[in-house]
Amino acid sequence: MIRTLGSLIILLALGAVAAAVIPDLQMHEELQETGYAYASRGMDDTGSSNLVTAVIVAYRGLDTLGEVVVLFCASTAVVLILTLYPIGLKASEPSRIVAFTAKILPAPILLFGVYFIAHSHISPGGGFPGGTVIASAFLLVMLGSSSVPDGRGRLPAIESLAGLSFGLLGFWGIMTVGQFLNNAFLGTGTPGTLVSAGLIPLISIAIGAKVASEFSGVFKAFRNTGGKI
Amino acid sequence: MTPTLLTVIALTLGGMMVAAGIAVLFIKDLLSAIIITGFVSLSASVLFLLMDAPDVAVTEASIGAVLATMIFLWGRGKIGDDG
Repeated sequence: MIRTLGSLIILLALGAVAAAVIPDLQMHEELQETGYAYASRGMDDTGSSNLVTAVIVAYRGLDTLGEVVVLFCASTAVVLILTLYPIGLKASEPSRIVAFTAKILPAPILLFGVYFIAHSHISPGGGFPGGTVIASAFLLVMLGSSSVPDGRGRLPAIESLAGLSFGLLGFWGIMTVGQFLNNAFLGTGTPGTLVSAGLIPLISIAIGAKVASEFSGVFKAFRNTGGKI
Repeated sequence: MTPTLLTVIALTLGGMMVAAGIAVLFIKDLLSAIIITGFVSLSASVLFLLMDAPDVAVTEASIGAVLATMIFLWGRGKIGDDG
């Protein structure tokens, strides 16, 4: 009870701070310097009609690379801990409803995830959300069977390959035009077509494969060592 | 100023999220608390969709509502029902 009250008091204090600060926030009606530059030049610079992806993958590609590294460390740590100190529960037998659903639903979810990644430069999408959608499809497959096949080495192989190709795609820019993660040297093409926007689709695919394999690996470790829900 | 439909929906969803967040603090059953946490994420995802951010909405729905809920459920399996 004391802990609950303590959390509530902290929450109320945070709320009071927010209520004091928010009225002073100035929201500009128009875009400011950097945002204006992205919005006005983004499509010509990158050839991507989805400006969010253009910023994430092209303008701020280095940040995304760092984010991918952080995710790699986190998932490695989780899998390592679960392998060293297994929770020690056998995976439970799925109910008939779950087993039946797990036979039908993963295919459309997988298709949506792949679409989300491959079209990230022309419609709302991106490597990270697409990767998590694909991982949730595999999660459903794992939940629908009482044992997860070992397949040792394949998930880490995909993960490493995707991470490596992200870095190599960056170095390709250094080799050709002397700029890391340069986007435009492949030619930006016509905005709105599938093969356009230079490196953006390739990097999206790399991010998607990496995120999907990382999350799947984490879930495989959870399912194998502590499958009871 | 008459409130638009978006404002009404956003306020309703936001109020439900706050109520659910407070309910999680006081609820005794761990399974209910996990499901309510998932509901908060799902409402946030609907809000993102209404505010024209479909990619963020998909991320929130798949990570917050599905993957995080699954991790919590596995954790509950580890510590048992009495937690």
